Amino acid sequence: MRIAAGVDVGSTQTKAVVMAENGGKTILARALVDTGANVRKAAENAFLAACHNAEIPATDVGFVVGTGYGRYNISFGNAQLTEISCHARGAHFVCPTTRTVIDMGGQDAKAISVGSDGQVLDFVMNDKCAAGTGRFLANAADVMGIGLDEIGPLSQRSTRPVRIATVCTVFVESDILSYLAQGKKGEDIMAGVHLAIAKRTLSLARRVSIEPDITMTGGVARNLGMVRALEQVLGTKMQVSPDAHFMGAIGAAVFALEKMDQSFESSTWRPEHAAGSGH
Amino acid sequence: MGDAKHTEYRGSIHQRQKELMLKWYERLNEAAETGTPPAISLMISGNCVELLEAFGAVPIYPEVNALQLAIRHQSLEPILAAEEIGYAPDNCAYVKADIGCYLKGITPTGSKLPKPDLVLCNFVGCNTYVKWFEHTAVLTNSKLYVLDVPFLREDNPSQADIDYVVRQLKELVSLLEQITGRQFDYDRFVEAVRCSAQVEDLWSQIKHLARRSPSPFDAYFDAITLMGPLYVYRGTPEGVEFFRAALEEMQAKVAIGQGVYDQEKFRLVIEGPPPYPYFRAFRDMFAKWKACTVASTYSTVGGLWEFGARHDPDHPFEAVALHMLAHNVTNRNYLQRYEQIRRYLEDWNADGLIIHFVKSCRLFSAGQGDMRDYVTKTLGIPTLYIESDLEDPRYFSEAQTRNRVDAFFEALEHSKLTAAV
Amino acid sequence: MLTFERTFEQCQELIADLSFERVHRWKEQHPGARVIGYFPVYAPVEIIHAAGMLPVGLNGGGDRLDIQYADARFGSFICSIIKTTLEMGLRDHLKVFDGILFSSICDSARNLCFVMKRNFPDLYIDFLHLPHNPSSTASVDFLASEYHRLIKELERIGGKPVTEAGLQQAIALYSCNRQLIRSLYTFRAQKPHLLRAWESYVLIRAGHFMPVEEHNSLLEESLKQLSQRSGKPRDSIRVVVEGAFCEQPPLDLIKLVEDAGCYVVDDDFVIGQSWFVEDVPVGGDPVFALADSYVNRAVYSSVRHDFRAPRWEGLAEKVKRSKANAVLFLIAKFCEPAYFDYVLFKKKLEELSVPHLLLEFEEKQFTFDRVRTEVETFVESLVFD
Repeated sequence: MRIAAGVDVGSTQTKAVVMAENGGKTILARALVDTGANVRKAAENAFLAACHNAEIPATDVGFVVGTGYGRYNISFGNAQLTEISCHARGAHFVCPTTRTVIDMGGQDAKAISVGSDGQVLDFVMNDKCAAGTGRFLANAADVMGIGLDEIGPLSQRSTRPVRIATVCTVFVESDILSYLAQGKKGEDIMAGVHLAIAKRTLSLARRVSIEPDITMTGGVARNLGMVRALEQVLGTKMQVSPDAHFMGAIGAAVFALEKMDQSFESSTWRPEHAAGSGH
Repeated sequence: MGDAKHTEYRGSIHQRQKELMLKWYERLNEAAETGTPPAISLMISGNCVELLEAFGAVPIYPEVNALQLAIRHQSLEPILAAEEIGYAPDNCAYVKADIGCYLKGITPTGSKLPKPDLVLCNFVGCNTYVKWFEHTAVLTNSKLYVLDVPFLREDNPSQADIDYVVRQLKELVSLLEQITGRQFDYDRFVEAVRCSAQVEDLWSQIKHLARRSPSPFDAYFDAITLMGPLYVYRGTPEGVEFFRAALEEMQAKVAIGQGVYDQEKFRLVIEGPPPYPYFRAFRDMFAKWKACTVASTYSTVGGLWEFGARHDPDHPFEAVALHMLAHNVTNRNYLQRYEQIRRYLEDWNADGLIIHFVKSCRLFSAGQGDMRDYVTKTLGIPTLYIESDLEDPRYFSEAQTRNRVDAFFEALEHSKLTAAV
Repeated sequence: MLTFERTFEQCQELIADLSFERVHRWKEQHPGARVIGYFPVYAPVEIIHAAGMLPVGLNGGGDRLDIQYADARFGSFICSIIKTTLEMGLRDHLKVFDGILFSSICDSARNLCFVMKRNFPDLYIDFLHLPHNPSSTASVDFLASEYHRLIKELERIGGKPVTEAGLQQAIALYSCNRQLIRSLYTFRAQKPHLLRAWESYVLIRAGHFMPVEEHNSLLEESLKQLSQRSGKPRDSIRVVVEGAFCEQPPLDLIKLVEDAGCYVVDDDFVIGQSWFVEDVPVGGDPVFALADSYVNRAVYSSVRHDFRAPRWEGLAEKVKRSKANAVLFLIAKFCEPAYFDYVLFKKKLEELSVPHLLLEFEEKQFTFDRVRTEVETFVESLVFD
């Protein structure tokens, strides 16, 4: 049995997945930590936590692929791949009929056109503004004075979403305040915000052409209101796995298992790496 | 080695190119101090520099100034100065940087720039060119002449289009006689047109060398280095001499199979201007993957000669008109650019297209999403779309751009591997 | 008999109708006749009329159209009208059109023309090169030849042969139209309390969707009704609205400007419809007359270069003529020509000590609180001076 791992260092959270291959590939365990200021530490902690959850010693992991913006800060990584490649692979692993990935993360949003073996055919990213990202929804939640985990359920209670024209997170704040002042209901405002973001995200996604099955990945997939808004605008259902947030790490782990064959390198993890942990 | 520092072209003509550009700035300085030679502001794309040659006038190229500023990391200060007097964040940063220089009395090289004897706007598609020169004329209190070149809205220019431009060129001759106090030297004009034709031929041959594998130079990053002499010396014997030497040098590289990298792993076509404030860093992103650009649309702003067009010295006025109407990328319509890109992708044997969207330039960038749609869906060629600006340093995110570039090459590498299997 | 107020409502509905129902009806009533749409700002509508076709002014999708597909084709930093126009095409709103004309107003619009050509290959889409060197003696001849090219194309796609008589007739009708529009503006400048800016706006812009004969009747009737109107003048400041309009502001924004304490005594919202400062000469070669009028009798505009009379002088003149107290620059987000001209307009106004305010807008806006505050503050600063 061969064991490999993927570590996805995002701007807010770091995810690690340990995967085994024994005939077929299976996920052994996952772990999630806040990234914080020390990226290297976060990567180590996530990796060790995943090994712990998998009940295997870290030295059993034969290959580690790092992804996410902090991928070059993983001291024990054997290879680095962009999260675009990893999200495509991960989504394809979880749902092999995936042909389009819509990823909405904390800081960026992307759409990926995926081939039949999980390869990236085309992609488009929005990484220069908050539209379509977790941050946008977090700001909107702040303005309304409600928790981030409440905005999804709230939006789903709406029957008459308000019209939001802008997708600039600064301007939408004043739009929300304006509607509140007009006495509009919280759920209608939130639904309007979700709908505006859904339209904007799909507008972006259409650059790569949207083909079924559409798999949603990234942290925002946990917001059911967002999922429903996207499906409403798409006119079709999407695949949303409970592992949506781990898709990058999963894809990285899949790559790691494959690269393990091609490479003479084995994992550079040594127990000394743990010397810094526990602070 | 796969980085910009070690793979940038640094042959002997690189040195010669520097000398030529310095000499040009010296001429401008001389014009600023003594009033001679006459100095005329002109735009790069589709221009009539041969007419200036006929009067012994030196061209002032605000676009080259803007470029120099950005590459030397000096563009932000003048841009801010322009914004202070009312230019918008969304106005073309090339214009803002240039206007800002006037406002602050600075120049990219420290040498003086003369007050133009004439601000000559060759309106070839780019509407911003007109605004730019209107503002320049007002700021420097100089005379403005807008030479209106009909946009290439059909496959070829019509006789009415050509007649219109020729008539304006002749009006311009009278105006230049008035302004410079010099007689129009028709023979010198013909000679300049002849030199242009020779330079075009040499430049075209150089561009065609990039069809070889490996290409001896990068047709985007290295081409930009060669473009200076192309603009400033096109209608001159120095220009001919320079490009003759450049062609020889490139041919020598081809003879020994020397490419830009030790191994040419990817061949690209790039559309759009580069992010000048981050030129090196940008080049590095492609050097890392040993990706060599074999053709670029931006390097045809000065003129599109790869497909056979040449100035005809036997009909000099018509030749200049045709160049302005049809043989430069800015006056050609968007679909003609798609066609240009298609030819590059096919005939220069490229693996993919990079579309660099720049905020400032709508001529290049408005509609690049549709271009992308055409190239990926109709031509089936992998395309990467990245965004920043050509002059304003505030619109570039190195990490994010690098991420997109890496993702693109990861996929391209993967498809090359699987195709080989 | 319609109440006068109802007329404005109808016009408002007409200009917001993205299904172009009125235009469909015209086509049904004139079997075999063609419809030619034109993108802002100016088009030689007399020529289209003389070819037996209906010219229809296009102004994007306003606030009625969600952009689903056009965003993918045009990136960021591009004004909304470019995208909504393409979107209209991609969503089959332009089915009633047989052709669309563009002209050399700006880089984005020019690229849009050719993107649409690729996406709608069965539609006649053309680009008119309107001249930018009016001081050249060659300019009028060139434009006349460009107009002849247009005539040939219109005849090719099913237009009736264009004759001198047909052109003279069209010229007469459109000259009448421009006179009526001028009368409306004169009325408003003299009695702004009796004709609100948004009312005259919808009346004028309705002309984009109907034959000029009908529009002339509408305007004549409206002017008659106006002379019956009464009302109390308000204590508002007189402003000129300047914006190089191609993309149109939401109607609520126009209303808001006056609600916040202004009288809009002149504007360039749909300047293409009153493009000539003098009537097109009758008699002689009508194509030449139209070309000559474009070059030598046109209003100043941010989309036309003419240094014989710089645009800022034109603005100063407009302020003086309409006895305005201030200028309100209303510029569409990302509109390059407007933003460039603003710098020199502003310089001129500062020389003349004319107060001015710059506001940015988008055709799709639903909340206006910020804008309203800015206008009110501006008005207050002038009133309490």
